[in-house]
Amino acid sequence: MSVKKRSEMAVRYEFKSYRDITPMHVSTGNMLYNKTGSWRFIKPVYEDKTPACQNACPAGNDIEGWLKLLGKREFEKAYWHLKREEPFPAILGRVCFRFCEAACNRAGLDSSIGIRELERFMGDQAVSDTSYPDVLPDNGKRLAVIGSGPAGMSAAYFARYLGFAVTIFDKEDLPGGILRLGIPAYRLPREVVAAEFDGLVRMGVEMKLHTEIGRDISLEDIASTFDYVFLATGAHRSLSLDMAESSGCCRIMSGLSLLQRVARGESPELGQRVVVIGGGNTAVDAARTAIRLGSQVTVLYRRSESEMPAHPEDVREACEEGVVFRFLAAPEHICLLPDATIEKLVCCEMTPGPPDATGRCTPVRKEGMTFDVPADTLVTAIGEAPALDYLQPFMPDTAGRFIETQTDLSVACQIPGKAKVFAGGDTGQTPRTVVHAVASGKRAAIAMDCDRKGLDTADIFRQIQVGDGNAVSFSRYMNWAPVNPVPRNDQSVVDRQKIVYDYFIRAPGIRKEIQSGELRKTGFAPYHPSLTPDEALTEAARCMHCGRCTECDNCLIFCPDVSILDQTRESFGYAIDYDYCKGCGICFTECPRNAISMIEE
Amino acid sequence: MKKAIKGNHAVSHGVRLSRVGVISAYPITPQTTIVEELSEMCARREIDARFIKVESEHSAMASLIGAATAGARTFTASSGNGLLLMHEVLHWTAGARLPIVMADVNRAVSGVWNIWAEQTDSLAQRDTGWIQIYCESSQELLDGVLMAYRLAEKVMLPVMIAYDAFFLSHTTEIVDIPDADVVDRFLPPYEPPVQLNFDDPRMFGGFFSTDYFYEHRYTVQQASQEALNVYPEVCREFNAHFGRSYDLVETWLTDDADTILVTAGAITSVSRIVIERLRSQGEKVGLMKLRMFRPIPVECWRKVLGNASRVVVIDRNLSVGVGGVFAAEIRSALYASDRHPPVYSAIAGLGGRDVTPEDVEGILHSMKVDDPSPDIPLYWGLKR
Amino acid sequence: MQRKIAIPRELLVDEELMLPGMTSCQGCAAPISMKIALKALGNRTVIVFPACCFCVFQGGYPYTNLKVPVIHCPFETSAVVASGAAAALDVRGEKDTTVMVWAGDGGTFDIGIQALSGAAERNDNILFVCYDNEAYMNTGIQRSSATPMGAWTTTTPAGALKSEPKKDIEQIMLAHHIAYMATASPAYPDDLYRKFQKARQITGMKFIHLLSACPSGWRIDPADSVRIMRMATQSRVFPIYEVTKQTGAVPGEDTWEYDITVIPEKEVPVSDYLKSQGRFRLMTDDMVVKIQKQADRKWRDLIEKRDATRLACV
Repeated sequence: MSVKKRSEMAVRYEFKSYRDITPMHVSTGNMLYNKTGSWRFIKPVYEDKTPACQNACPAGNDIEGWLKLLGKREFEKAYWHLKREEPFPAILGRVCFRFCEAACNRAGLDSSIGIRELERFMGDQAVSDTSYPDVLPDNGKRLAVIGSGPAGMSAAYFARYLGFAVTIFDKEDLPGGILRLGIPAYRLPREVVAAEFDGLVRMGVEMKLHTEIGRDISLEDIASTFDYVFLATGAHRSLSLDMAESSGCCRIMSGLSLLQRVARGESPELGQRVVVIGGGNTAVDAARTAIRLGSQVTVLYRRSESEMPAHPEDVREACEEGVVFRFLAAPEHICLLPDATIEKLVCCEMTPGPPDATGRCTPVRKEGMTFDVPADTLVTAIGEAPALDYLQPFMPDTAGRFIETQTDLSVACQIPGKAKVFAGGDTGQTPRTVVHAVASGKRAAIAMDCDRKGLDTADIFRQIQVGDGNAVSFSRYMNWAPVNPVPRNDQSVVDRQKIVYDYFIRAPGIRKEIQSGELRKTGFAPYHPSLTPDEALTEAARCMHCGRCTECDNCLIFCPDVSILDQTRESFGYAIDYDYCKGCGICFTECPRNAISMIEE
Repeated sequence: MKKAIKGNHAVSHGVRLSRVGVISAYPITPQTTIVEELSEMCARREIDARFIKVESEHSAMASLIGAATAGARTFTASSGNGLLLMHEVLHWTAGARLPIVMADVNRAVSGVWNIWAEQTDSLAQRDTGWIQIYCESSQELLDGVLMAYRLAEKVMLPVMIAYDAFFLSHTTEIVDIPDADVVDRFLPPYEPPVQLNFDDPRMFGGFFSTDYFYEHRYTVQQASQEALNVYPEVCREFNAHFGRSYDLVETWLTDDADTILVTAGAITSVSRIVIERLRSQGEKVGLMKLRMFRPIPVECWRKVLGNASRVVVIDRNLSVGVGGVFAAEIRSALYASDRHPPVYSAIAGLGGRDVTPEDVEGILHSMKVDDPSPDIPLYWGLKR
Repeated sequence: MQRKIAIPRELLVDEELMLPGMTSCQGCAAPISMKIALKALGNRTVIVFPACCFCVFQGGYPYTNLKVPVIHCPFETSAVVASGAAAALDVRGEKDTTVMVWAGDGGTFDIGIQALSGAAERNDNILFVCYDNEAYMNTGIQRSSATPMGAWTTTTPAGALKSEPKKDIEQIMLAHHIAYMATASPAYPDDLYRKFQKARQITGMKFIHLLSACPSGWRIDPADSVRIMRMATQSRVFPIYEVTKQTGAVPGEDTWEYDITVIPEKEVPVSDYLKSQGRFRLMTDDMVVKIQKQADRKWRDLIEKRDATRLACV
């Protein structure tokens, strides 16, 4: 029933004389003439918002969107919808730090949706698909991506979608950067990385491997042949321990170099007792790699467990595999044997000191509380920095630091040539995770396209901002239709306060059994089983679709003024009959997922 | 079929013959034998009616709001305090234009108990919009019920048949009980002007704003006035079917009367003896029996009473602060007339005290000899 | 996954028996209940209104916003007016109809209780619905016997808050041995819908006690009306249950089965429910404790009776 039709159905009664009093005083009309909408000073509107998960995702992954499609068993649609914002589900579905799950509103009821597992399921299901829909025709501009890690891959993917001719340069023989050289195979099988690159090649991305900048090709050459350059060379330079004894000692290595050597197929010689220093992912990955190589491993971290940057799940799994963690402990000096091999490490107990500018406690030594840790091999993983030697001639300030970029990721540097230079991934100061790298690639691609078109990038970024964070939406840049054809208010984030949990049924998430630590540490084989389709559907059904209308009918049922008009049969969702809506706000309060907003008239 | 029955049972037979659909009542002396008989009739399936045995007179009348609105012919009966309890609903049912018929067995009301005859209870309902008819005999009661439905359903106002406790309610008389098929011809099934219909749902009544209320009240008044025109038609038709007739008033020897005695209800029967006796003594006295009291048949009263030189009204009722209700209303009806004889008022028989022929004769004698002021009622028989 | 409100979709979106344009206050819960009740009862329903908010706001003469026959009646008479209407429909041979009284708490607990008790005792074939907003709201928030302890009203102002507990109308009705007695709340629409459907099938006296938030009288934001009613059930101040008469195989062996039809997953303390409303703002801690105890006692009692029912079924 259309809005117009109802008010036209008003039946009024002409009353002029006592003779018009009806027999037995029966009614002759209805109150439809009484447009109670005039009482209203705020009105409800349907608008889809940004769920907390998407808001938390650095890449702005429209998780709710593809989960909705997945829930309807529209696997292919769901897959492509996912790839709109996050192109590498098989990779991130394994290695992402799951900012989404930490934010997931479902945790306010029982436990977060297993988004990463679902994403992996999507990636594993469809990774061999060949068709890339909606890639724009060539726009005549060429983009050189330096580095084939996640940032480079992402920039290549999105730029290709936007019609750029893309060439990826990488000094390694195989593409993937950190995905291949930093992340152990048990977390990310190599064929998964390879498959994603196959996809890029199928899209028309050109790969120039074994090509090192400054050695095989100069940056000036690139800058003069290409219109845009995206620097995504990562952070592959390990920071070293400031200990005098370490120089010249053979069994001291960085965590990253250990991981790289194993990745390249080497079998580095480790001793029986390996001590890893650090609390980040590199430290934990290095420790778990060392244990797979047959050593006993102790990780020393100067802060407490809860302060570890490494993902708690990885820490737990490392423990299961036999890695010993000593928290609030820092090495003081290395005791060497006469043959310059390591005898032991003298460590000191630490205590949390006063907080620094970021609010984090700086650990301080507990004077006199030293202890020995027997060791023959030392692996340091106290941080990595970009190796930017190739850029130094054009940007002297970068030495040993990172590339400073504008919000559009452009870089102010003087490389002779026509190219505009952008940078992303771990070369910047942003948090160094795979998904942040992917996010930077997307931003850069959009920025370059804006630049090409002469658009104000900052303004465009504001328009396509996801939630209240830094992520931008590629779909919105491309004007792709969202899953729900309703007006959107993407800047508004739906957090737990806005969810009416009473409407949701508790249902525990699916947690897959994994191999025991004993078994896993015998090799580098992946051990996380993928979800079965049934499991994926069950898990997807747990999604609360925060901020997105699911046509649940609550508004229709609760409206006291019969002013919600169903249109689910003809199109999507509901309309509001503002002729009568009094603006009471019950639809807004009772929408389980905050897909309705109250706005001033 | 002629049968010796009590006045209350005459009413019950009238209800039976009217094929009433819903009966609702609460027992009160002296009304009880009406509803007992109706219960028996229902139990014997002589009537296809639903009998709601309510918990109060208020509910008795209220249930008929629902029943009459939903299209049933309805009946209730009460008396004295019971009728007073119905007061709010009497206003409602008349205002809602529901053609309910009820019998009120006139019973005294006050701040002490008394179960015997007095008309104050029904007269206290005179502003409710109900049509009131006062009866003298059992035959008149049975016939009155049948005619009441015809009248009520024609003008869409409720009708109250009022008659004296015990003197009539519990007195056995020979009554001609008509055959059902003749009654059916006289009184067809009830067809409300608007039927409650699920396919054309309407609201009955409701909230009347100032835009409508005054006009609504006026239509009720109009319907009541219309009853005065409709009633003679009903009488004619009744006469055609049953060979009996009842006018708005009943007159006897009034044409040449100097003094006209006005009575209502059972005192009329006693008065007939006195009139006859006085006529035989050469006194020019006549009798007017009040039948319809609401709406007031003003023209009829003026025509009958205008030529007399004095009017004597016996009231078995007392409007405290006024006196006899009938006397006051007759006075007021005659006031604007060209000929308005003085109206003398006597209060007699309150609370069921017997009014004998000697009492009536005494009242007439006193009015003549003592020549009291018409303004002051004569409290006849008061133990001073 | 969402707790789906189980009302058949075709009923939800098909022709409404209640139209918009009514003059009910913003957030009034009564129309929500009416809308759903009529979906369950269908169009062969007569509504009897005593004096109450609904009888006024649904349309003054000559307008009505309900597409079923409506009979207005004096305040205290609704139950018996319905009895009369039901009798008339019966004698007219109208089958499959429901005569429903839609009365406020005043018209039920107070002035209407005599007629209600009469109709209940006679087991008249009517459905009496009390939409209980816990005070005389239509006249401007005066206390009724349904007003809870500690509530502010214009006749229980600051310094003289209502000190007596709410009348237990449910027990009163059950004492009449009626065919069906249920509580329901528009905060649980599918339960409400199911109960009206069930009541429609039962011959005899049915009584449904509806909680009905009144933003004006409860001193709450209209938008919170349903949320607060939900809290009423979550806090067990207003438990949702039903008692159904089961006619025994042997005369005299009738039983009354208790079922608690809504057991909220979330429990909230009574104080949360009370604090959510302005009318309880002046309440003392003592009263809160009392109400909590009453609620606990009632809940225990219900559980016991339900369990006894279950045992009897085994």
